[in-house]
Amino acid sequence: MARVGVFVCFCGANIADFVDVPAVTEEAKKIKEVKYAIEYKYMCSDPGQQMIRDAIVQHRLTSVVVAACSPRMHEKTFRKALSDAGMNPYLLEVANIREHSSWVHQKDKKAATEKASDLIRMAVAKSIANEQLHEISVPVTKRALVIGGGIAGIQAALDIADARIPVVLVEKSPSIGGRMAQLDETFPTLDCSQCILTPKMVDVASHPFIELLPYSEVMELDGYVGNYKAKIKRKASYVNFDTCTGCGACWQKCPVKVPNEFNMGIDKRKAIYSPFPQAVPNKPVIDAEHCTMLLKGKCGICAKVCEKGSIDYTMQDEIVEREIGAVVVATGYDLWDPSPYEEYGVGRYKDIITSLEFERMVSANGPTGGVPVRPSDGKVPKRVVFIKCVGSRDEAKGIEYCSKICCMYTAKHAILLHHKVHDSHAYIFYMDIRAAGKGYEEFVKRAQVETGATYLRGRVSKIYKKGENLMVRGEDAQLGQVVEVEADLVVLATAIYPYKDNPDLARLLGISYDKYGYLSEAHPKLRPVETAKAGIYLAGCTQAPKDIPDTVAQASAAAAKVCGLFAGDTLKKDPMISTVNTEFCTGCQNCVTVCPYQAIVTEEIPLGHGSKEMRIVAKVNEGVCQGCGSCVAICRSMAIDLAGFTDMQIINEIVSI
Amino acid sequence: MDYTKQIQDIAGRLFSEGKIDIFIGYRNTGFDENQVPVLIHQYKDVDQLLFTDKSVFNLANYLKYEHTRNKRVGLIVKGCDSRALNLMLTESQVKRENLYIIGIACEGVVNETGEKAQNCVECMMPDAVVYDELLGSATGKREYQVNADIRELDEKTLTDRVEYFEEIFENCIRCNACRHSCPLCYCAKCCIDQETATLFHGANTTSSAFHALMTWSLHLAGRCVDCRNCEKACPIHLPLHLLHKLNEKVIYENFQENLAGMTEGDRGAFYKYSLSDPDDFIL
Repeated sequence: MARVGVFVCFCGANIADFVDVPAVTEEAKKIKEVKYAIEYKYMCSDPGQQMIRDAIVQHRLTSVVVAACSPRMHEKTFRKALSDAGMNPYLLEVANIREHSSWVHQKDKKAATEKASDLIRMAVAKSIANEQLHEISVPVTKRALVIGGGIAGIQAALDIADARIPVVLVEKSPSIGGRMAQLDETFPTLDCSQCILTPKMVDVASHPFIELLPYSEVMELDGYVGNYKAKIKRKASYVNFDTCTGCGACWQKCPVKVPNEFNMGIDKRKAIYSPFPQAVPNKPVIDAEHCTMLLKGKCGICAKVCEKGSIDYTMQDEIVEREIGAVVVATGYDLWDPSPYEEYGVGRYKDIITSLEFERMVSANGPTGGVPVRPSDGKVPKRVVFIKCVGSRDEAKGIEYCSKICCMYTAKHAILLHHKVHDSHAYIFYMDIRAAGKGYEEFVKRAQVETGATYLRGRVSKIYKKGENLMVRGEDAQLGQVVEVEADLVVLATAIYPYKDNPDLARLLGISYDKYGYLSEAHPKLRPVETAKAGIYLAGCTQAPKDIPDTVAQASAAAAKVCGLFAGDTLKKDPMISTVNTEFCTGCQNCVTVCPYQAIVTEEIPLGHGSKEMRIVAKVNEGVCQGCGSCVAICRSMAIDLAGFTDMQIINEIVSI
Repeated sequence: MDYTKQIQDIAGRLFSEGKIDIFIGYRNTGFDENQVPVLIHQYKDVDQLLFTDKSVFNLANYLKYEHTRNKRVGLIVKGCDSRALNLMLTESQVKRENLYIIGIACEGVVNETGEKAQNCVECMMPDAVVYDELLGSATGKREYQVNADIRELDEKTLTDRVEYFEEIFENCIRCNACRHSCPLCYCAKCCIDQETATLFHGANTTSSAFHALMTWSLHLAGRCVDCRNCEKACPIHLPLHLLHKLNEKVIYENFQENLAGMTEGDRGAFYKYSLSDPDDFIL
């Protein structure tokens, strides 16, 4: 006979304000199997846990129901309390009467109380069918995969490698460095971006624990935490990196010119190229889409001038496999396309550029040698209008969120403009100035005072051409009047947006993403670098817009998580896994195809007792199964059951209300 | 459409060459003009076989039973039957090397009143898609279209539709003939018969027949080949195809799939995962 104990939590006021906790406890006492029920202010506190431990012993409980917050919050806490009292921890059921009742039904206390009682009744019914389960140990491969070689990926890779854990760093472009390599100087200290980044890039290349795979992409990720298997495509570079010295003869002589992505298309690069002088590895690759030799079979100049004979036009994409235990995703950000702002004349007027284009222009190694120029006539602009929140915070045309860094980099741009063109003047249209951060507010002040930039609060309604210049019409909300500014150049602070292929990557990795394509963290506050999938972590702007300090901090946090995961020789795994009842299994193998973890294989068993004929049935690999339940749902003959969530337990729950 | 002679010849040849143990075909009932399936074990019985537009049943169904398991079997399949057979092959219920398949490029079969059967009028793939030998000339795949009865059903509100189904399935006597006649209902222990199923029903507000039929139709969603063996088997002539055709429409709208079992290895929309699957529900 089941003897269930019910422990109802007030959660301070969180539950008690909207649910009549004593009434719920009284209601629980009426359930036949409940032998003990009590409420307490904070069940998760030490005295609260002690109540559970004592009751288990005193009332010889066979299972425990805690009615409190989400099991994601404190299931582990209460499981531990059970095992401390000598009870199998999986005999615990959590009834979530906070997120599922008090928080969502704040306007109706009576209904919330009834619902809380129902939730408890269901948990009690389920707990009666609970079985004793035991943790599973699985071995762990101590090697990490870092996807993306921007500052986030670089920092994570270095931190993990410094803990003497091997790292595979995969970067899709020919060089690591990412967006930060494109920046000129960084706020709020104005130190040169490349000067602080390149030493780290060199460290990556020379680190004995880092295997750098540039010009590569992750194609597949199989397995589970501690035991992933990654398939990585090494795109054909047509250059033998082992013999190439990076002398540059090839790209000097290459006759094909292509818009330079690194410089946001402002100038041209060659078909064989290294993206920037400080590139790591500093070896060129051939752009197969534009190389005449690869397209038409004529040219071959780079091969002729290469003294080392490193050019190999026959090179093919290569798939390499790596066994890894954890993944850090740091794929960074793209820019939001501002073309919906038709009234700004985006695309029509050449002298409207994006902030990253401006950044490349003022950069010392940029296409214009560090001086901003007008794309239309190459003149140095004197009056520059910066428009903030292009795309950001605009529900109508753009996106709802704040891109976080635009206030700061626009202030920086005003300062940089003043440094490069002394007699220039910056006009900045803004909605708010968001400068929360160490030294940030001071930095904005510096832009306003030192460079005399004119900050105009209001949105721009129209940009039109007047002669050679642009007229920017906007509102000055503080004066309450329309202002018109004549500008030589307009810079749009376009929003940060995730890469288009982020959702594809997320699906490939089996993690979730939001409506924009940002990868989702497991908990917005308490698990900001983890994903919902064990062993996969996030760093940098792939999760949300961030500035460099935040990105670096998150990358280090992700690295710490990886190191923590690898601290032991085995990983403990929840025993909530599937089992196959071979008697009912028809061997259709639909479960094999739907299993996202490739955890189900087939085996042959005798057709009947003592029979020589064989039949195929499914078999679950314990180490690989994550207990997602896809196979349970797909199995038509109900031959698969999930420990901890058996059909019997779920039916008990449904029948109880 | 009469392939009686060809089929007798082929079956005779297979038996005399010792290639098969059993041949599954059609024979006359002996008391009317209708036909019934027949399992032939020896050469001397092949003259019973015939194939005309009254050969309505899906013979793939007989591959799921004990007496054909691991035997070498010859059988006749029309377009729809062959697709069911393909699914059985995909789901490892039969071994291809044990089968000798006579495919028919079907011109449609007739119902009891002598008219062309409704599913043959609506048929999208009359040719057999898996066979060792094809009789007749193939005409190829036809366009998918949603028929009037299904469109009407789809336009009903959810409550109306439940009411409608409750009403028409009210007469179901739970004889399970539909399940027995379906080649794709091959489970050794059907979920409807398991003890937990009765418990499910305890928590259900619907009638037991409705619940059983809904479960059944969902287990055939994306797999049903519209052979209508179930409707032919149903002793009270329930319009069971409505469930399957409605599922077919929903699947077509979401996954652009309408023909189950066209190729071996294709398990149907519900049993595969593709990057292009709709995911509008992700927040």
